[in-house]
Amino acid sequence: MGEIEQEKLTEAAALKTRELTVSMGPQHPATHGVLRLVLDLDGETVVKCTPHVGYLHRGIEKLAENRTYLSALPLTDRLDYISSMSNNIGYVVAVERLLGIEAPERAKFIRTIVGEMTRISSHIIWVATHALDIGAMTVFLYSFREREWILDLLEMLCGARLTVSYPRIGGVRNDVSQEFIDSLYKFVEGFDKRVDEYETLIDQNRIWLKRTKGIGVISAEEAVNWGLSGPMVRGSGIPYDVRKYAPYDAYDKVEFEVPVGKDPGDVYDRYRCRMIELRQSAWIIKQCIEKLPAGPVMAPDAPKFTLPPKDRVLKDMESLIHHFILITKGPTTAPKGEIYSSVEVPKGELGFYIVSDGTGRPYRMRLRAPSFIHASVLPRLCEGGLIADVIANIGTIDIVLGECDR
Amino acid sequence: MEFKKIIKTIFFTEILKGMALTFKSMLSPAVTRQYPEEKHPAMPGFRGLHALVVDPATGKEKCIACGLCAAICPSQCIYIYSTEGPDNKKFAERYEIELTRCIYCAFCVEACPVGAIVLTEHYEYTDYSREALYMTKEKLMANWNKYMAGPKGEEYFKKFWHPTADDYRAYDGQPMFRKREG
Repeated sequence: MGEIEQEKLTEAAALKTRELTVSMGPQHPATHGVLRLVLDLDGETVVKCTPHVGYLHRGIEKLAENRTYLSALPLTDRLDYISSMSNNIGYVVAVERLLGIEAPERAKFIRTIVGEMTRISSHIIWVATHALDIGAMTVFLYSFREREWILDLLEMLCGARLTVSYPRIGGVRNDVSQEFIDSLYKFVEGFDKRVDEYETLIDQNRIWLKRTKGIGVISAEEAVNWGLSGPMVRGSGIPYDVRKYAPYDAYDKVEFEVPVGKDPGDVYDRYRCRMIELRQSAWIIKQCIEKLPAGPVMAPDAPKFTLPPKDRVLKDMESLIHHFILITKGPTTAPKGEIYSSVEVPKGELGFYIVSDGTGRPYRMRLRAPSFIHASVLPRLCEGGLIADVIANIGTIDIVLGECDR
Repeated sequence: MEFKKIIKTIFFTEILKGMALTFKSMLSPAVTRQYPEEKHPAMPGFRGLHALVVDPATGKEKCIACGLCAAICPSQCIYIYSTEGPDNKKFAERYEIELTRCIYCAFCVEACPVGAIVLTEHYEYTDYSREALYMTKEKLMANWNKYMAGPKGEEYFKKFWHPTADDYRAYDGQPMFRKREG
């Protein structure tokens, strides 16, 4: 060994190595919004991961306190803005349970249909962006074709594409049209083939498998302890689904399976869960359309909580009074009390805790946002892994910061 | 089993399958829309730019300045300054909507007891100045004349002014699932 080489070796031994702290986000393209992760790195290994949330805080819970039950509805659109319909449904179901009214059968079926439509569109976005983050761009181009169809259908239904505000307390805003039903049925009939296409592209792809298998492993017991829900807990093998355990709307009248992942509960298992859920959602929609009953879409027996029909407002004194009171003060005959009600949104279990003090406005509205709870499990998934897998882990929890920060 | 796996690994079958799909879609018609040249036709009932209904009989607005739209508005972007007219009737001297704050939920349409405000199907109204996005009464009435006047406006209230009496009952010809022929 030469003298110079010997010198270099001693120099290298004398060099100190230290952990590097990297701030990832809030403007990182793979953080799905404004999530910031502070990563302590030892080489390429993540030693410590600290999520910082709150960049998208708009005070939705507080804002709701100053609004009537009806006019707080558009706020819930802005929670998880890629599946706004599911949030709307969660809110109106909670308020309906609080007020003690029930939506008519047809409205329940319509809500189930639109809820599953947004589940499809949310999962489609998820598979598109998750694959894009990991490096498979093609799926993105295919899945946005189907998403466009769903958004067009929502536009046909209620006039808005993203922030729909379609369900109402005691029913839905308007009845569906024949054109909508026909087009949606055509969509769900051909949807399984579309899912097959996504799977052709990534399901067996060796790069995809390398990036997802054995990454972000969380066991069933741990998943429950962390309070995970939705595909996160189902991917670990727990068949927990609010639609099955506490059915709302028309979920107890349709058949569907709750897909669970196999051992060990990694990123790939959760991906499989969501792909099966896509097919199940299409199946639910198909059943709902076939079983769609005739009838009213707004509860006819709750005049103190639902707006009177427009043709009666200027003819009938009582209706006019109800109309003015409901718009300006909200349902002032709302019972005092509190309620916790949860629904299954694409991300997991979205809970609404509403305290009513008998005025037309919620005294307090608290949200159990699945994205927030899933963000808390990020350090557990990332620590000990490589920095490249942090991206896969952010993708797999399907975080939407609008809901996380509220 | 092992042999099949080796063949699959050597010949990249799963990647070739994916590429075959890509090739197939290359030959099928494109689904993308070249937006500024090729516009997306808004569906009927689209929640776009606001308009104040002009009564064709009088040429004045239908609005009675009751303030319900301002009361329900979740973003509180409607400002109404009412005053007494020469015929001792209340009317809106100024009716203003701040488009930059509006969230297009159409609750104002639902709240209005007389059907005096609509959301038109027009959705391309971006501008560089805030003044252009601050709608006054005159601008809103001009919107009506431009986008909704005539039978289209009447049709709007028949179809998209909810809740209607039909929403509270089962009626003939309610949209149902129908099997396609063949």
